[in-house]
Amino acid sequence: MSSPLTLAPAPPSQAAEEVRTQVREFLAEELAAGTFTTHVDTWLSGVDPEFSRKLGRRGWLGMTWPKQYGGHERSAMERYAVTEELLAAGAPVAAHWIADRQSGPNLLRYGTEEQRQEILPRIAAGECYFVIGMSEPDSGSDLASIRTRAARNGDGDWVVNGAKVWTSNAHFSHYGIVLVRTSPADPANRHAGLSQLLVDLSLPGITINPIRILDGGHHFNEVVFEDVVVPGDMLLGEEGAGWHQVTAELAFERSGPERFLSTYPLLAEFARRACDTGDAAQLGALGRLSARLLALRQLSLRIAAALDRGELPDIPAALVKDVGTTFEADVVDEIRRVVEVTPSLDSPDPLGRALAEAQLHAPGYTLRGGTNEILRGIVARGLGLR
Amino acid sequence: MASDQDLVVETVRDILSAHEPFALTADTAWDAGLWADLAEAGLTGVGLPEEAGGSGGELADAVAVVRTLAAGAGAVPVAEQLLAAGPALLAAGLDLPDPAEPLTLAVAGAVTAEPVDDGDGPGRWQLTGTATDVAWAGVARHVAVLAAAPEGIEGAVLALVDAEGLATSDARNLAGEPRGSLVLGGAPAAGALLTPARTGEVRARFALTRAVQLAAALERVLAWTVQYAGERHQFGRPLGRFQAVQMELAEMAGEVTAVTALTDAAVQALDRGDDVVLAAAAAKVRAGAAVEVVARLAHQVHGAIGFTHEHKLHHLTRRLWSWRDEAGSELTWSQVLGVGLLARGGDDLWPALTRVV
Repeated sequence: MSSPLTLAPAPPSQAAEEVRTQVREFLAEELAAGTFTTHVDTWLSGVDPEFSRKLGRRGWLGMTWPKQYGGHERSAMERYAVTEELLAAGAPVAAHWIADRQSGPNLLRYGTEEQRQEILPRIAAGECYFVIGMSEPDSGSDLASIRTRAARNGDGDWVVNGAKVWTSNAHFSHYGIVLVRTSPADPANRHAGLSQLLVDLSLPGITINPIRILDGGHHFNEVVFEDVVVPGDMLLGEEGAGWHQVTAELAFERSGPERFLSTYPLLAEFARRACDTGDAAQLGALGRLSARLLALRQLSLRIAAALDRGELPDIPAALVKDVGTTFEADVVDEIRRVVEVTPSLDSPDPLGRALAEAQLHAPGYTLRGGTNEILRGIVARGLGLR
Repeated sequence: MASDQDLVVETVRDILSAHEPFALTADTAWDAGLWADLAEAGLTGVGLPEEAGGSGGELADAVAVVRTLAAGAGAVPVAEQLLAAGPALLAAGLDLPDPAEPLTLAVAGAVTAEPVDDGDGPGRWQLTGTATDVAWAGVARHVAVLAAAPEGIEGAVLALVDAEGLATSDARNLAGEPRGSLVLGGAPAAGALLTPARTGEVRARFALTRAVQLAAALERVLAWTVQYAGERHQFGRPLGRFQAVQMELAEMAGEVTAVTALTDAAVQALDRGDDVVLAAAAAKVRAGAAVEVVARLAHQVHGAIGFTHEHKLHHLTRRLWSWRDEAGSELTWSQVLGVGLLARGGDDLWPALTRVV
């Protein structure tokens, strides 16, 4: 099959396997020392700035960036191994996750020299955190319909008004990359007139209101902008090129192993149970789920290899996220079919707790970062159908 | 596939296109003419070493031949010969029969093997019992039989049996491919005792063979379905313009792409000489699971015409429904995988997963 959906197999990477071993040893030490406990979906909910700084000190943030900006000039394959190990351990990586994954690469591509020098080393140190400013109360999947606007004032600064929602971790983050309308909507070209602004979240006029998810956890926020004055040089990239830039950013947002490993700690707990019981149905379920996971790893590795080749595989990324998030939600259902276990956050059984965490976070997997319906539309475009 | 295999693929495609497609009928058990042309071109020995009588070439070349024939629904035992039986015989130190004569593999737990001294030196075995569900029974001239070892001995015996004159039952799989039984009456045959680990490898290679065929057929079914959705118009526009249909095709593409990625990785692991039992198990399970989605949605998108014998779709969907259960079903291999991943204990799942491929 030759289409925009297929990527070449990833070549083996010795360097990736070496760093994988280092991360695994580090995580075993941290777990033994009790500095963190394993949870499901920790790239959304596991906030621990000290842990993020530790990763920064070890050189595991900003891994692929140039050294002059605090990066380590390592391959996407090596970064893949690091992120995968952190997710499999259910480590608290939420504080830095978005900055390291997509905001940093976005700044590297579109930021000014000053922005890169000032911000990127702090991200790589695990000290500077970012939010994604895309969705709005009236604009979810239809991102081009956003209404948050930015207009130049007499000083050449941007005055921002509007609101963003589902803004993960805005209550402790430092910056947002905010998609705004900088010229009036053109019905003939809905993607025109959008721009990205780099916004310091401590600016006057910004209000951050918590939005709690199903388990009561506070990760999401509403971020309201009322006459927020953003310095003129905080335009990211080109005025009016926001849609194109967002598309590039989404390739990073959608392609990583967090799109199929959010519930991995539940699978690991289930494996302990299946090992104890030796139950054939449980072992079979473990095999079926593992086969799906192994295929997703290969897809995600292919994307990492494509990033190393300098490609921006947005269509394969959409495909992996669709297949991956479907899988991570299915983990819950497959397990409960073969184990008698009651899901509860208060369960004395670690499997019951993991199941409860995974279940209560499950609706988000196939929504965040682009719904699976939107992703399948992108895949359909890759198939030449639209 | 990599560009190195393009020439092989092109050659097989040329030969396929010179033959009437979809040759299997109630009266025709295989495509003897296709086989003859493939053998003539040396393609029935690809990937098997020249010193053993094969045509030489890489594993990737053999996989390319098998994939092309699977996607083209070629009714010949090339997959069994190049990827399963041939390599199994060579790994066991047995002679390879003439690649121009079809060879298959029978995993036959109900057949017992006893050593025999028939004056033809050591390594002679007497096989007794009935091998069931044998791929290309009645077509293959030679059968590599994986039989139960004598009582009290672990592992299995792999023996090369001349199928000429063996009693055969005429059973077919869902696609009409021969899957009959062979009655082994105790004639001496060259064979070798395999350890349980080597036995597991033979089975795993057979499973990976079917996974490779499944991957290729799944890709072709997706391609046919996308093409059909672009050509068939309803309500004044192509089916592919309807979002509901796009969702189905995208789901199919996700499944197909996942299967290909994992199967390719398992083949590469085999090529590196890694232990591939778990990789093969995973590839077979993943490919089998994809059949459910891809075959169902392919028929859904094709509508009633795809449900007719006249249309070509069933030549591959019936193979998909058969191959997923052959060489060990998802039930068998998912348990092998589950048990194998926990071999070092319940805390070792992640390291085990990252070792598979």
